[in-house]
Amino acid sequence: MNAAQFGYVFDEAATMLRRHKAANAVSIVIMGLSLLILVVFLLVTINVQAVIDRAGDEMRVYVYLADGAGEAAARDIQMRLLGLPGVEEVVFVPRDEALLSFRETLGKNSDMLDALEGNPLPDAFRVKVKPEYIRSERLEEMARNVEGWSGVEEARYGERWLERGEKLVKGFYFADLFVGLIILLSVVFVIANTVRLTVISRQRSIEVARLVGATNAYVRIPFLVEGAVQGAVAAGLAVALSAIVHAVARRHLPGLLFLGGDAIAAFVFFCTILGAIVSLGAMRRLLRF
Amino acid sequence: MEQDQRIIVGVYHLSKSFGKHFGLHDVNLQVANGEFVFLVGPSGAGKSTLLRMIYMDDFPDSGQVVVGPYVSTRMKSSTIAELRRKTGIVFQDFRLLGDKTVFENVALALKAAGAGLGEIKKQVTEILMRVGLYHKRYDFPHELSGGEQQRVAIARAIANRPAVLLADEPTGNLDAVVTRSILELLFKINAGGTAVLMATHDLELVKSFGQRIIYLEGGRVVKDSEMIYVGDLRRKIDGSPVGRRAERLEGRDIRGEGEGR
Ligand SMILES: Nc1ncnc2c1ncn2[C@@H]1O[C@H](COP(=O)(O)OP(=O)(O)O)[C@@H](O)[C@H]1O
Ligand SMILES: [Mg+2]
Repeated sequence: MNAAQFGYVFDEAATMLRRHKAANAVSIVIMGLSLLILVVFLLVTINVQAVIDRAGDEMRVYVYLADGAGEAAARDIQMRLLGLPGVEEVVFVPRDEALLSFRETLGKNSDMLDALEGNPLPDAFRVKVKPEYIRSERLEEMARNVEGWSGVEEARYGERWLERGEKLVKGFYFADLFVGLIILLSVVFVIANTVRLTVISRQRSIEVARLVGATNAYVRIPFLVEGAVQGAVAAGLAVALSAIVHAVARRHLPGLLFLGGDAIAAFVFFCTILGAIVSLGAMRRLLRF
Repeated sequence: MEQDQRIIVGVYHLSKSFGKHFGLHDVNLQVANGEFVFLVGPSGAGKSTLLRMIYMDDFPDSGQVVVGPYVSTRMKSSTIAELRRKTGIVFQDFRLLGDKTVFENVALALKAAGAGLGEIKKQVTEILMRVGLYHKRYDFPHELSGGEQQRVAIARAIANRPAVLLADEPTGNLDAVVTRSILELLFKINAGGTAVLMATHDLELVKSFGQRIIYLEGGRVVKDSEMIYVGDLRRKIDGSPVGRRAERLEGRDIRGEGEGR
């Protein structure tokens, strides 16, 4: 295929899109709305993920020291903690300070602490962990490991909370996958159908093109372009509509995240390629050669 | 199979059946470069089917069709496209694109062959002048008479300077006067060196021209007014020499690029 033919093929594609404005517009709107559902699901997912990540940032592992562990043992434990992968910061929390802040938490109910003799709380280390280490299985492993050290009584983190959050996010990912699959199928169906209609309405011009010796590529590329344009425009429409949905929702939930530029580009690109491939598939079944 | 280079279209022992009742049976015919041949037979004789085998829109059950370097048993989609660019085809119903102008309809053939815009403009202008429709280049097919539409179709068919022009009842939709002018155009094109194979059911129309006539009936060639002996001699059935048309045997051929013998 040379430059002249290339130019012609794109002219033909443009003509086709112009001629079938109505059919194309209808299918693009249908696909745009389907894809909008998918984008909204994705937005919910990334926002839930973000909330959980932010909570995870606040999360600390508390390593409680055994009663009577000496200062040397404590220093040794601190060094070993700092040497663990993913550990960012280790702060010593003396038992007196812990009691003080406990009192503060209890407020005017702190009287009940006076009934105790002495301080029941142990010394502890508050360990800050890098975000990518805030995962149930990693923290669990770290805690079990640390609890085996001499001088350590117990290592705790928000295990219940973390597990629940992770399950929630996993659930959303599955839902995304499921919804995505259904919407993908509907998009494939809609594009295949419009391309099929175009092929049928262009039967005469395809026949004539073949008669005068047009090659396969020459006949097919305009349809390929039609499918790709449909995919791209529908994806763009879905992104634009979801931006509106996002803007409205943000009035009630400030700080709500939107898809990043990379994600939008990838989404539009994916839909474009999908459109081209589906169109190719639809033609293979329709055009003999 | 190789055939004599002077033969542009060769049909050899071609058979094709459609169901029980219709088919082509052991059809043999050859058209030489620059020759004009009428393919005559009643409706349903198999003329259109035979032409379709020649432009390779369909293929024989047995036997072969050879058009220039193209052999029916060795075709694939790209060589079919190539063959079509070197063969002009015209139909009774014109097959023009209604949403394109006269100019664009003719340009289509050149675009498919990969011509540049400048060349297309020059070539289309020249051809439209030849068929007498340059002044209607911006008209759409529905604005033209039947005869004019057929001229456009013929212009499109010869745009790539084919070695052979196939015409399937090209005058079937036209009145007597227009029919005459279309035949004259075909003769003119033939005089330029292009072989023409024209199918028609109308023997009365064509028998007076003194051109070769192949009769097809019930899917069989029942008579050929001239026989071609592949070799040096080419004679009419009655034994008299063919005359000046034989000189064109040395004319153009449509060897494919890179396949020169
Ligand atoms: N693809 C096909 N399938 C079945 N029958 C066919 C097909 N093509 C042609 N025929 C049969 O061939 C007969 C006429 O052939 P055709 O080549 O059109 O004749 P002509 O052009 O001489 O009138 C018809 O009776 C038709 O039924
Ligand atoms: Mg016919």
